[in-house]
Amino acid sequence: MITVTFNHADGRQTRVQGKPGQSLMQLAVASGINEILAECGGSLACGTCHCHLAPEWMGRLPAPQGGEAMMIECVENPDEFSRLSCQVVLEPALDGLVVNLPAAQF
Amino acid sequence: MPALPDSFRPLTRDFAQDPYPAYAALRDLGAPVHFPDFDIWLVGRFADVTRVVQDKTLVRDAGHFMSPQERAAQQRAENFHDMPFHQRFIQTNMLESDGEMHDRLRRFVFREFTPAFVARQRGMIEGFVDSLLNGLEDRQEIDFIEDFAAHIPGHVIGRVLGVPDEDCPQLRLWSERVVSYFDIDRTAEKKARAEQAVAEFHSYLEGLKEARRRAPGSDVMTSLMAALDAGGISEDEMMATCMLILMAGHGSTIDVLGTGMHALLTHPEQMARLRAEPGLMQTGIQEMFRHESPLPFFHRYVTEPCEIAGQRFERGARIGVLYGCANRDPAAFDAPERFDLGRSPNRHLAFGGGAHFCLGNHLARLDMEVIFTKLLARYSRIELVEPPEYKTGLSVRGVKALKIKLQA
Repeated sequence: MITVTFNHADGRQTRVQGKPGQSLMQLAVASGINEILAECGGSLACGTCHCHLAPEWMGRLPAPQGGEAMMIECVENPDEFSRLSCQVVLEPALDGLVVNLPAAQF
Repeated sequence: MPALPDSFRPLTRDFAQDPYPAYAALRDLGAPVHFPDFDIWLVGRFADVTRVVQDKTLVRDAGHFMSPQERAAQQRAENFHDMPFHQRFIQTNMLESDGEMHDRLRRFVFREFTPAFVARQRGMIEGFVDSLLNGLEDRQEIDFIEDFAAHIPGHVIGRVLGVPDEDCPQLRLWSERVVSYFDIDRTAEKKARAEQAVAEFHSYLEGLKEARRRAPGSDVMTSLMAALDAGGISEDEMMATCMLILMAGHGSTIDVLGTGMHALLTHPEQMARLRAEPGLMQTGIQEMFRHESPLPFFHRYVTEPCEIAGQRFERGARIGVLYGCANRDPAAFDAPERFDLGRSPNRHLAFGGGAHFCLGNHLARLDMEVIFTKLLARYSRIELVEPPEYKTGLSVRGVKALKIKLQA
């Protein structure tokens, strides 16, 4: 299992466990993380599963590519730690991942 | 193989007035059911609809697996043949494409429909809604659709695209004629009207393109022309994209405005709640989309043998996804029949899902937010005069007219 900590904008924390191969978005939706809307369901068509990885985790994942990079330019308050959670696939190396959630997707 | 429920008769008035018992019966079958009128397999449970729209092997464009001869035979079977403009600009577009072509076409217009870009239209929408309401000041009774709601989405999408205000009413007529031919009752008269509408639409857009060439604007037409000049899209793709955006921006938003207003009128406690808590507007609008999804039916083609809800499908099978049915699935929503403006989360499928997720969703929601906010602020009482008649068909959900009384 891979432990992921979601930091909510109001200071609450939710710690959940995901499986390898699951996307970060799927884990968030299945765990009732309502800030992750994921309206298109993970097809790079809506940009509503935006989150910020904790800075120390950013370098441990490949940078956003192609469609994800383009969509990140269009989300609310993007920064250098922005990712679309549907494009982050959980793997054992991500055990302990910390994710900062936006207050709203739009 | 389960049989189609007796109540599932989408061209009848009974179904139009209340399709939800038929949808529930269809969901309860638990497996896809064949709908012979349209030679399509219907899927109505939330989990199954989600699975279909997320699966990249289930596509919109039959060209992925059909030879040109098979495609032509299918066009004849669907009565989509012998309409050259329709085939060129309506049957071939972003919505009817998949994969690389779809993603390329969507990329050129995506930015203009993101929340930040859409938010720039708020002042324009507010001004237009105010001017319409000012024009209704001496009226105590109106048809909410024809006197008010029907004018707004077309005006807004026209501005986004770069169409002059005075031309928007004509665009609405063309859109309606094209869209009405998608439903399952494809008569010769509707076919001729749809083809003529596309031809006129195309001629109009040619003129608009030349006007933008002389005087570029900050609109979608100008962005698409830049893509055309850079070789990113073809001339036909540009025209088809403009038509798609204009059509998608018209009818469905008018329909959900009508059904949303009707739901508020038939749930006065929810209207009172919204007046008391304007912060509920965002979740409220989401609930209007879930409760009465304006585009309840879309389809996909099977390109590789697969199984959906226990039923095996071969290449070429057509799967109909019933968003309006899935959005009332008790397996996905608590008390799904209840109209609850505070429902959250509300992961409905009214905007579809997957790669074809509604491009204009933020614009539609902004239209609705401005309209309901303005109406509730201006009128202390809004009452239903008579129960409305709903449009027949499987592809749309909306009231034909909505007579209401207004009191400041």
